[in-house]
Amino acid sequence: MDIEQYIKDIKIKFPKIIDAEVVNTKRLMIYIPKSSLLQIAEYLFKYLAYRYIIVTAMDSKEGYEIIYHFSDDSSGWIVNLNVMLDRDKPEIESLTPVVYGVEWIEREIMDLLGITFLNHPKPERFLFAEDWPEGKYPLRRDYVEEE
Amino acid sequence: MGKKTLVPLGPYHPLLEEPEFFKLYCDGEIVKEVIWETGYNHRGIEKLCQSKTFEQVFYVVERICGICSTSHPFAYANAVESIPGVEIPERAKYIRSIVGELERVHSHLLWVGLAGHFLGYNTVFMWAWKYREPVLDMFEIITGNRNSYAMFTIGGVRRDISPEQAAQLLKVLDEVERKTTLLVGAVMDDPVIHARLKGVGILTAEDIHDFGAVGPTARASGVDIDVRRDDPYAAYDMIDWKVITANDGDVFAKAEVRLLEMYESISIIKQCLEALKKTEAGDIKVKVKEIPPGIGIGHAEAPRGEVFHFVKSDGGNSPVRHKIRAPSFTCIPTFRRSCVGGTISDAAIATAAVDPCYCCTERMSHVYDYTTGKHIMSAAELIKLSQEKTKNLKAKLKV
Amino acid sequence: MGFKEKCFKKSLWVFHMSAGSCNNCDIEILDCLTPKFDIERFGMKLVGSIRHADVLLVTGIVTRKLLPRIKEVYDQAPKPIVVIAIGACACTGGMFKDSYTFKGPLDTVIPVDAYVPGCPPKPEAMLAGVVKFLNKK
Repeated sequence: MDIEQYIKDIKIKFPKIIDAEVVNTKRLMIYIPKSSLLQIAEYLFKYLAYRYIIVTAMDSKEGYEIIYHFSDDSSGWIVNLNVMLDRDKPEIESLTPVVYGVEWIEREIMDLLGITFLNHPKPERFLFAEDWPEGKYPLRRDYVEEE
Repeated sequence: MGKKTLVPLGPYHPLLEEPEFFKLYCDGEIVKEVIWETGYNHRGIEKLCQSKTFEQVFYVVERICGICSTSHPFAYANAVESIPGVEIPERAKYIRSIVGELERVHSHLLWVGLAGHFLGYNTVFMWAWKYREPVLDMFEIITGNRNSYAMFTIGGVRRDISPEQAAQLLKVLDEVERKTTLLVGAVMDDPVIHARLKGVGILTAEDIHDFGAVGPTARASGVDIDVRRDDPYAAYDMIDWKVITANDGDVFAKAEVRLLEMYESISIIKQCLEALKKTEAGDIKVKVKEIPPGIGIGHAEAPRGEVFHFVKSDGGNSPVRHKIRAPSFTCIPTFRRSCVGGTISDAAIATAAVDPCYCCTERMSHVYDYTTGKHIMSAAELIKLSQEKTKNLKAKLKV
Repeated sequence: MGFKEKCFKKSLWVFHMSAGSCNNCDIEILDCLTPKFDIERFGMKLVGSIRHADVLLVTGIVTRKLLPRIKEVYDQAPKPIVVIAIGACACTGGMFKDSYTFKGPLDTVIPVDAYVPGCPPKPEAMLAGVVKFLNKK
């Protein structure tokens, strides 16, 4: 896969893309605004038939960072969509209507980081016990272990 | 309209941090819906990894799953070594591949045994597990432990394989290959196994794409993916092997893929052992001083499918974020498609086909009456139901 | 010789419960049943329900979600019952002791009679553990 051509093409196709860079050997990171997530994900997953791998969410310095990993198995490239969310309002549209398998990992992220996925078909508790206190998110930076 | 019945299948299996608990909603004998509950085994490993050094994380991820205890370090090594761009010595690459493939052999044997148990073929269970023992002994000789091998480290492997060990390993492999042929014969030619497994728990290529399922589950549905070939790591691009696929997508195809994969694994190990002779003994590790800031994404093909690790480093001693995805996380939800429409007695084998470390799930499954909540059936009885079905079939087929 | 050791001399029926374990110990327990170790020749067998069991084997760390379930299983067990903690996780918490879901070693939750440490303990070690417990003076 000619990566420079690929980046050029996808930037023309989706002008809203903020930036795209090769972060490592065969690993492409595309930075996108959260409004165009569904559109670009649909293009990758349905049109290019990339395999959905998983979603990583983390609490980074600038805000909550969500990375959607897709794999192009014919070339071995992993294409990542990186969305940055505001710390004050951690909300994003759920990807479940496009990628069916995302449902579970989105619920896990809800538990671990407290990010709201709008229009999620089943926004219920996933990993934690029934007695886990509300509003405690272990992967956030300000998380303190209760005694 | 028959009585609606709830069959909880679970509560957990410990493959990842997410074991699960299935509620099968049944109408009569037909499964209508499968609901997945999880979290019983959530150990917070991702958070734990952030408090360990890069070196220590190997031994934590090894304990995500005892059966895949090389696959997780493998993927983690691929991820973390890609940040500074370390090229590991050739000998280390071969040793990594040997350990990885040996694990595949023991894991697939384990699966064949358990699948046999669920079908009521306890002889297959005992046989497969008996032939697995020499492989585990071999692990003990090479790595020092039967499971959780602690073989990998940043920049290479921790132990070398001596020529004597290699010779011993070759002998064990020849033995395992012979026994595999025996098992393949037993499974492929048995009319009862055909009747039980063909057309059960079918997954189409679209289902696989929807859920992102990987490994033998995907390859049995004609989806030709294998990380070892698509994004080669370790020694997989230096040797000659092929990816096994099947087209039917049913449980039989999954069994076929796993059984035939064992031959490939054995052949890979043999080639690696041959290649070891050409490299210098003791050259198994390069020193890596520090991990610079950056992102490392690594994946590896575990016996059950692709293991995925995402590591972010800020230049310090430990990862700032470590995301792990085990193959079962995307394979298990496929039960929604594979079990629905089948009978309860097929549910046990349809779920086992994905190989979700089923041994732990069996003992606490219960069948409840959906309307009254009254307990009808226990785990043992569910397996018994599956075993009885085989027995009846046997009588019918007169074998 | 204590009461429990007197009760359980032969043909122990074993119930195996995995509390947040990594499968290593569980597979090794199953290994005990297979031809190489074959504990069934001593009349020991794995049973599907705690209500039939003489021995409760627990593997793995006690996670938050499983804590009430472990207690419930222990309550359902016919008494007297021998509880054996298998593996480093069940004995002490092992490398998971700092996890946010860890709720203490097994013996802080239910009474434990014997400990078999190791990660994972070999089948031989488990057999030795049971034998040592039975021979306790």
